[in-house]
Amino acid sequence: MEDFEFLRNVTVGQYFPGDSIVHRIDPRTKITVLILLAMVNAFIISYTGNIVLLAVCTAYVLVSGISLRFILSGLKPALPLIIMYAIMQLLFFGEAYAPYGLETQIYFEWWIITISNGSIQLVIVTLMRFLEILFLVSLLTATTTTTDLAHGVEGMLRPFQRIGVPAHEVSLIGTIALRFVPIFAEQLEIIMKAQASRGADFGGGSVWQFIKTARQMVALIVPLFVDAFRRAEDLILAMEARCYVGGKGRTHIEAFHMTTADFLIIAGNLVFAVLMLTFRTSFRV
Amino acid sequence: MSHTDQARPMIQVNDLHHVYLRGTPLETTALKGVTMQICEGESVGIIGRTGAGKSTIVQHLNGLIRPREPGKVIIDGQDMSDPSVNVKAIRQKVGLVFQHPEQQLFERLVGDDIAFGPKKLGMLREERRERVKWAMEMVGLDFERFKDRFTFSLSGGEMRKVAIAGVLALQPRVLILDESTTGVDPRGRKELLARIVELHRHHEVTLIFVSPNMEEVANMVDRIYVIDDGRTVMGGTTREIFDRPEELRQYGLGVPQVTTVAHRLRERGLPITRIPLTVAEAEEDLWKILSS
Repeated sequence: MEDFEFLRNVTVGQYFPGDSIVHRIDPRTKITVLILLAMVNAFIISYTGNIVLLAVCTAYVLVSGISLRFILSGLKPALPLIIMYAIMQLLFFGEAYAPYGLETQIYFEWWIITISNGSIQLVIVTLMRFLEILFLVSLLTATTTTTDLAHGVEGMLRPFQRIGVPAHEVSLIGTIALRFVPIFAEQLEIIMKAQASRGADFGGGSVWQFIKTARQMVALIVPLFVDAFRRAEDLILAMEARCYVGGKGRTHIEAFHMTTADFLIIAGNLVFAVLMLTFRTSFRV
Repeated sequence: MSHTDQARPMIQVNDLHHVYLRGTPLETTALKGVTMQICEGESVGIIGRTGAGKSTIVQHLNGLIRPREPGKVIIDGQDMSDPSVNVKAIRQKVGLVFQHPEQQLFERLVGDDIAFGPKKLGMLREERRERVKWAMEMVGLDFERFKDRFTFSLSGGEMRKVAIAGVLALQPRVLILDESTTGVDPRGRKELLARIVELHRHHEVTLIFVSPNMEEVANMVDRIYVIDDGRTVMGGTTREIFDRPEELRQYGLGVPQVTTVAHRLRERGLPITRIPLTVAEAEEDLWKILSS
């Protein structure tokens, strides 16, 4: 049965009100933690390290009260791509990729295909790293309103304004981009229903029929782009009508204050990140 | 109810419920029990305030949303909860035009865009051409003059006509207009609606008309269902419904202005026997009163 509910699959960028500690801490704290853990994520390539990091990320999600199942459902649309990627890594990287902390063992070799313990490790670790990033980013956007997020980013970039970083503009662009994700998902749903009403069949075919799907996409992409440009123009008009000039000297209705809890959380995560990075080579596997 | 009793039911909706984003934190209930029956060749209006669930209902009528237990939707004898139903055939039978339908245009040329549906049905070139020509005539676009125009260079009203022609090209037996005329200038709207009435009368297309404009509804349809908070709350002929302005007000709706005027005149003692729904009817009544 077809399902046109796209919002179901867009988990990144949606805000869910709540009252957990993750909701209450300063957006700057959340962004700092995200950066720290993303750094760890980028450098850890061992099984053990990723299990630890994944456990930490899962714990954060659980603390926030956001449904783990809902965040995981965000994987669904990307699944074919992830699986294709995994298969390619499994089959063609056997020789090129030396396993971390293990002797290279080749399990299967034929023509250009080589499966080794290195390629298996690559597949599993890549998937875990993907999950970690998905958890962290979904958690940030699910527990922080876009306004808070924008102010957070702006606050963090302000020190760099001296060297020419347009702090306010960057945060504005980010906010607009995030805000538009659910709008476009909704718009896509409407267009898809309209095209289906005049005979197009989406969703009926399997997700594996890439070429057929791609061809069908034209009937969706073109209207979606037309709509996006129209919305962008409306937004420009609305901003100009209000004489929008941007960040200089602008105050916010809600001033953010870092509390002791914020500093403790940052300190804790900093220690965790430093430890993980320092001892990343000590994990045997 | 001219032909309700003998005619074959085209669409039957029974105790329909629907929840959007079921099983997610954003779950919202849209329908809580909608029941209606629409016979072949009828013209039926669905009215209700914003958020009452009108759009959700019409999306059930061409298989965009499938009914769940205990709800039932039967279209031309086919139970839509049966997963093996050929939805494509249903969508050809029931044409649905959305609000702002011009947003669905994507081909470079007008003719190609209208031919999208027939092409998806696997029609051959000549047959497609005939269909496109017919559909363009139906909405009042000259085939020779418009078929090779660039879609995105048309005016808003013309784009709307192209989009409606795109649905008509499937030659549906039921046409659903879901607030499809909002945002068109009054004159263009009047012309478009007149063409749709013609389609309904002369080509025996069953018409389901959703509109926030009570004047339009009164002009277009024989029967009306009133939806409020996801439920069918009233149903009857257009006259029966608009004879109960108090009840309608309770659901955030009004009656056509001529009807209000007639009600007031009757209160002041003018001998109006039949409450008029359209300007034409009011004119007729007034002449009768004046000449007697």
